[in-house]
Amino acid sequence: MTFESAVRLTEILLALALAQQSLEHLRGPRRDRLLFAGRIGLCGLVILGLAQPWPLVGLAVLSLAILQRYQGPYNGGSDRMGLLALWCLTLARVLPEPAWRELAFGYLGLQLVLSYVISGWVKVINPDWRSGRALGDVFRFSAYPVSEDLRGWAERPRVLAAMSWAVMGFELAMPLTLISRETLIAGLAAAAAFHLANACLFGLNRFFWTWLAAYPAILWLQARFF
Amino acid sequence: MILRPFALLLPALIPSWNFFDVIAPSPRIEAARLASPDAQPVWREFRPRPQRVSPGEMVRRLVWNPRWNETLFLVTCAERLVDHPTRHSEDEIFRRIAADLVREPGEPWLVFRLVFVSRQGEAIEREVLFEAQPRRLAELAP
Repeated sequence: MTFESAVRLTEILLALALAQQSLEHLRGPRRDRLLFAGRIGLCGLVILGLAQPWPLVGLAVLSLAILQRYQGPYNGGSDRMGLLALWCLTLARVLPEPAWRELAFGYLGLQLVLSYVISGWVKVINPDWRSGRALGDVFRFSAYPVSEDLRGWAERPRVLAAMSWAVMGFELAMPLTLISRETLIAGLAAAAAFHLANACLFGLNRFFWTWLAAYPAILWLQARFF
Repeated sequence: MILRPFALLLPALIPSWNFFDVIAPSPRIEAARLASPDAQPVWREFRPRPQRVSPGEMVRRLVWNPRWNETLFLVTCAERLVDHPTRHSEDEIFRRIAADLVREPGEPWLVFRLVFVSRQGEAIEREVLFEAQPRRLAELAP
């Protein structure tokens, strides 16, 4: 995957993800609608590849207004990944030197790998995660399960321990998948399945689309260095 | 003031990625309508989750999930309100509850409280960590 094709694919996927979120906001309070209608328009220009790089610059500027509006990200981690991808892409388009542009885009790929490794590390050093008890707590009393029936999973300690180790295992193994393109694709497929499960069980649909949007960055970075 | 959005952006550009490192006490928003500001509230959980969500509905929510994402935003506001109280977080919660309730006939005042659920040993405990001052529903509705 060339630098140009990876950047282009990332910006299309990210614009689609941001447009999807923005459409959801149009259903929200009236005073927010202008902000998100503007974002949908800019996403459309990015997808069509018109007036580059200005729609990306516009989205970056608009992201500051949205942060100010909600006094932080609207949906925590998923919005943070969206912001990271957006600002890295914008820099990858506007920086004057090719090496700087590669650095900005490579930073997104690096952070994508770190997002899995660090998440796995902070879990594996916690005895409650190793025993499956922490995941049990997620199902038992956290705000995330989308239905009351799902809370019943808290009563399956063996399944929870197996699920916990599966999650920690794939997160910690992510850097090893960089060995070859095939292993990386397999690792990203496992990661996408993990995000899909989170979207279904915990309603975290934004994570699914924003993380997927950043995948071309790591595919390009892997090809660049391995 | 101008620098504030950049300060909010910084954790996204230098992320910590420590998702679910500990399972912290989890907030529930409970709301009540009152005949007068000093009336005794009868608390009801705001947006209780359904008993069951079908696989088809889960797939649909992949592309259209505004209500749940708004509920998660209110969880963030509730956590902020306890950690670093601001008028913004309180306003957001009040307005979103009001938007849900405004079409239902009922008492003119609205109040909410935040109940944090956690596990202590083997027991699940609930603790009220915040209770707002009542506001007139008519002044909150969008």
